[in-house]
Amino acid sequence: MWWYVGKRLLQTIPVFLGATLILFSLLKLRPGDPILNLAGNKPVSQEVRDALAAQYNLDDPLFVQWVLFVKNAITFNFGETFSGQPVFDLIKDTFPVTVVLAVMALAIDAILGIILGTLAGLRRNGAFDTVVLVISLILISVPIFVVGFVAQLTFGVKLQWVPATVGGDWTLSELVLPAIVLAVANFAYTIRLTRTSVAENLTADHVRTARAKGLSNRLVVRNHVLRNSLVPVVTYLGINLGALMAGAIITETIFNIPGVGNTAFLAIQRGETSTVVAIVTFMVMVYVLMSLLVDLLYAVLDPRIRYV
Amino acid sequence: MSDIRAGQERFVAPVEETPLRAIDAVDVDAVPENQWKEAWKRLRTSPIFWLASLILLVVAVMIAFPTLFTDADPTKGSLSLSFEPASEGHPFGYTRQGYDVWARTVYGARASVSVGVITAILTAILGMITGAIAGFYGGLADSLMSRFSDIFFSIPLLLGCIVVVAVLNNTFPERGYWGSVMVVVAALALFAWPQVTRQMRAAVLEVKNLEFVDAATAIGASKFQNLRRHIVPNSLAPVIVTTTISLGVFIVAESSLSFLGLGLPTNVVSWGNDISAAQNQIRSGQNLQVMFLPAAALAFTVLGFILLGEAVREALDPKARKK
Repeated sequence: MWWYVGKRLLQTIPVFLGATLILFSLLKLRPGDPILNLAGNKPVSQEVRDALAAQYNLDDPLFVQWVLFVKNAITFNFGETFSGQPVFDLIKDTFPVTVVLAVMALAIDAILGIILGTLAGLRRNGAFDTVVLVISLILISVPIFVVGFVAQLTFGVKLQWVPATVGGDWTLSELVLPAIVLAVANFAYTIRLTRTSVAENLTADHVRTARAKGLSNRLVVRNHVLRNSLVPVVTYLGINLGALMAGAIITETIFNIPGVGNTAFLAIQRGETSTVVAIVTFMVMVYVLMSLLVDLLYAVLDPRIRYV
Repeated sequence: MSDIRAGQERFVAPVEETPLRAIDAVDVDAVPENQWKEAWKRLRTSPIFWLASLILLVVAVMIAFPTLFTDADPTKGSLSLSFEPASEGHPFGYTRQGYDVWARTVYGARASVSVGVITAILTAILGMITGAIAGFYGGLADSLMSRFSDIFFSIPLLLGCIVVVAVLNNTFPERGYWGSVMVVVAALALFAWPQVTRQMRAAVLEVKNLEFVDAATAIGASKFQNLRRHIVPNSLAPVIVTTTISLGVFIVAESSLSFLGLGLPTNVVSWGNDISAAQNQIRSGQNLQVMFLPAAALAFTVLGFILLGEAVREALDPKARKK
């Protein structure tokens, strides 16, 4: 077990360094004077120029600049926006609502996906299975922002069950609809994975043994089929977080939720590339960390992994 | 279990699942059929395949001959026609800018689908080469390639694309039609290839230990000949399935980027741009077809590619179908 944990931790280091290197190179590839880029393309005096060069280590060799970029990322020092606000403060203010939204979406995704996937998998090729498969194919085909707009129009504008947009003072109940929209995009994959996994386990030897012992169908499904089928699903839900964060940019924009994604969108609109890169760097860090946690959880859930 | 090599387990016949009559009915003298011919035979009987082909055929005709569907010019708008209702020859009315909605949807297929197709081909080629090298040579080549692809795999597709497109748009402000398509393609391909690499690597690892490779080596085939003539062609099935499905995923990703203002520039007629431009209609609840027509076209095309991928998966992997 500890051997696996150690190996997995060591693997994260080059991945993290590489990801920061990609983002750093992209930042450096921007054309034009880096100081003008930082100042929002307004002419600056020599004093400001020197101060900015010192603040962002622009006179150091590129390698040193990258090392400093990594150091800054680890210490959450993401620089400032064009208006002088530290990007980390911006993230700190907006991150909680994104976490709440993502957790709600993940919960909806997991609960509905596993229930529907299990029911479909238990009666493979039955009527319910076919309906669920068709619906999941349609959900995969429609872009998340179209789903978002349709939901907003139906429940926010026409039926007025929920407010069409969320705004600054968000409450949990207002986030339900955006969370469903965010979950819908991934939920189709969760259903399909659970379905395949359940159907595969139904024919496994240990399930046959359990039936031979005379266990009731309910017990067999609960203790022997589901428990084994959920291991890959749990891992997949972790990987989903990446898609959830990208989806958050779109969902938060549609429903005007003041989260990290919306902040990133506004920075894109203003053309503040350095702020966009800072926010995306933060999101990638969260994602790499979450994948690490999920992989460790995988080892806890599935003993076979530990001994490879 | 340990002395059965990967790939050999298929020769252990599941006797209790195969009725005796079926075993007797196997014609042992028949010439073994080519894997692709057999897959095509199964594909032909699949209704899903024909449904997908029908959808994609319509889209292909739209791309090749848009004038068959509409006489209007998608790039000529007139503000005096803003939100005019449907009329003769303009079945879905006009957008806010006075463009013909139907004409925009027909011509939009070109940019949206070409982004998907070019990205998918590029990703497949990159992934196949890197995956084959990693799987076949193993050792240091494998470790380096796997760690390298892990880096790109660790950045979620859309997040990575946002940064790359934002930077490339700054770098090439004047980039024309194909230039803008290539910017989006490059961004998508940069973060999508590791998935194909992983699949190709796994398939090559399985195939390279099979008997026919040993047989080829025994009659004097070189390592590279083996790789090119025997291993790669037999490892392609999972890559083909993923590539077909990812075609749809890339089209959706392009439209999501357009929605964020980072896809194709607004002067390019594309579904993503049209949906994005029509988003204000949603909050007002008026003139919804301006948004739903391109959205429906996009969803149908993506559905076509996904269904095709499903049908091909079943045709190439009959083991999965029987379960």
